[in-house]
Amino acid sequence: MARVSRRSLLKVTGTTAAAATTGGLAGILASGRAPAYAQTSTVHWLKWNDFVPAADEHLRKKAIPEAEKALGIKITLETINANDLQARTTAAIQSKSGADLIMAFNSNCQLYAESLADVTALCEAVGPSQGGYYDTMKGNCHDGKNWISVPYCVIPGLIAYRKSWFNAVGATTFPATWEEYRAVGMKLKAAGHPLGQTLGHTFGDAPGFAYPFMWSFGGKEVEADGKTVAINSKETIESVKFMAGFWKDAHDEGGLAWDDSSNNRAFLSGTIAATLNGASIYIESVRRAAQYMTEDGKEMRTDIAHAPMPRGPGGASAFHGSQSTMVMGYSKNQKAAVDFLRWFHTPANFEPWFTSQKGFASGPTKVWETNKMWDEDPVMKPFRTAASVGRVPGYAGRPNQKAAEALTKYIVVDMYAKAVQGMAAEASVSWAEGELKKIYSV
Amino acid sequence: MIEGARWRRSVYFHLPLVMFVVLLLFPFYWMVITTFRPDGELYRPWNAKNYNPFWTWHPTLEHIRLLVEDTLFSTWLWNTMLISLASTAISLVCGVFAGYALSRLKFRFAGSLGTGIFVTYLVPQTLLFIPLADVIRNFQLGDTPWSLILTYPTFLIPFSTWLMMGYFKAIPKELEECARIDGASRWQAMIYIILPVAVPGILSAGIFAFTLSWNEFIYALVFLSSSAQKTIPVGVVSELVRGDVFYWGSLMAGALLGSIPVAVVYSFFVEHYVAGLTGSVKG
Repeated sequence: MARVSRRSLLKVTGTTAAAATTGGLAGILASGRAPAYAQTSTVHWLKWNDFVPAADEHLRKKAIPEAEKALGIKITLETINANDLQARTTAAIQSKSGADLIMAFNSNCQLYAESLADVTALCEAVGPSQGGYYDTMKGNCHDGKNWISVPYCVIPGLIAYRKSWFNAVGATTFPATWEEYRAVGMKLKAAGHPLGQTLGHTFGDAPGFAYPFMWSFGGKEVEADGKTVAINSKETIESVKFMAGFWKDAHDEGGLAWDDSSNNRAFLSGTIAATLNGASIYIESVRRAAQYMTEDGKEMRTDIAHAPMPRGPGGASAFHGSQSTMVMGYSKNQKAAVDFLRWFHTPANFEPWFTSQKGFASGPTKVWETNKMWDEDPVMKPFRTAASVGRVPGYAGRPNQKAAEALTKYIVVDMYAKAVQGMAAEASVSWAEGELKKIYSV
Repeated sequence: MIEGARWRRSVYFHLPLVMFVVLLLFPFYWMVITTFRPDGELYRPWNAKNYNPFWTWHPTLEHIRLLVEDTLFSTWLWNTMLISLASTAISLVCGVFAGYALSRLKFRFAGSLGTGIFVTYLVPQTLLFIPLADVIRNFQLGDTPWSLILTYPTFLIPFSTWLMMGYFKAIPKELEECARIDGASRWQAMIYIILPVAVPGILSAGIFAFTLSWNEFIYALVFLSSSAQKTIPVGVVSELVRGDVFYWGSLMAGALLGSIPVAVVYSFFVEHYVAGLTGSVKG
């Protein structure tokens, strides 16, 4: 066998590389890649595994093939458990490789602001032409100067409750204030049907309950400057005191350990009378109607209604879940990714996805409130305009990286959880103040 | 063994043993019963009449059907098996040689090197996945089984090395020295004398490495993206948790079917495994 010297090897590989870089058929064959102008851009889209399977199916079977045809690109959709999105995002940003589009929950995109592409042009084209984005969506996805993530949808949280059980304790309409809700909850708990809520480290239900609860008493994380920590106030302390008693009087006390799925399960198994949640409880009860029955043998779906959170001394409030799509800064396919999002958020293309959600997700812009889908099921009607009320973490300032960090560390949630577990209200608020100061002082 | 009256044996031995066994097996039992309970029972109010969470009178295969037919479970099973076997093999080879060298050969810093290897095992994977993602990107291994086959040894080799070091130290040096006097080289003494004696230790390191690879989650989550490349722990969670609704029956079916290969491996080698962990060497 002929001996290959280092010199001859370098010569051959050098010639091959030169052919590859200088073009020509030989070069193309040697490189094993199509020339740039003939390559199809591939956009890798990473999102959660949608609660509504039909929505992901629509994306896979209809929307993506149509977009590929219309835009001449290839789109790979990957769906994972929502809880795992942050680990994937962090690793992708660190290694500067991974999906081109990644879904962010709530204001999480603020955590990665420096690693995201500017999507201002796209958002300013989509939002105003569709009735404008909800304020909360702008809060989550705008860094004060630019749009850093493209609003995808809102997942409003309302209280799902059992009408018959509320009626049985004399509450023919849903309580309007926390005091009324507590009084009704006490009766329900005495009847063996407590209210159910989580104060655990869950990305959806716990912050969705704790933040607006604090706001509705007049409490706030920071002043309007977005820097001065203001949580240690008379209002917040009152809210914490109220929560401690409210929990004991009216709630299923095991809720401290619940995750986002636990209240769904507790409600659907007839253990709790009411819980703050997205529409998933009701939709699940409709999807498998024969499976979820009331104690007197009726389909549970006929006994479910929705209401907004009661108001407190500081008024009514809400913190709805939301999702946005980040175009990653490291992506070499940013143009194709943005083109796809522009295509997807065109009303004609977005509508089939929106209607497949059956109201679980609302549109990111106000125009979707008028969609005829909302006429299909009166039980879902309260979700139609729910997204128009609400705040985002970081209030009274504007949402930013610090507020997003406080949210992901569950400081406000833990403040209430500590009080429920026996810590004095003043001490738990003081603890939260200390934790927030650590974040906001950096 | 507890000596004395019969009641003493019952109270101090049998009762704790039964409690221990029940405690350990209960999660497995719960997994089995949830796999076969229909959703109607899983979601039945706990205070409903005749409610019994520990048994089902209407067993169903629906959850297993959903798992096997509507997901890529068989592909995940194959991927997990391939990745676990390959990474275990790599780790064992490295661990055995490194363990032998650190316990038998006299060279500078052997002790501190051994401690250093152990310390690397203590670095949590939840921190390591970030820099490793960089490495995987640079070698263009993302979304391939190689991304796991080559990264799992980062925590398996230190563990195997440490375990084998301890085991080799328990083997009398005289066995090896006799072979050397009879003319065997160090390599021959190691291969023909020491390794056969160390088989229980190698097996226990292998079983541990296999189990750790089989159950690993965070690297598999981060380094694999297409559904057809995923392993059981990631695939099952990705496909059977939808928003805030968990498909408990199928999740438990996935956990049950996924744990069977590990249980089989354990049952085959349990005696060697125990001997390996206790470091006992029969002369």
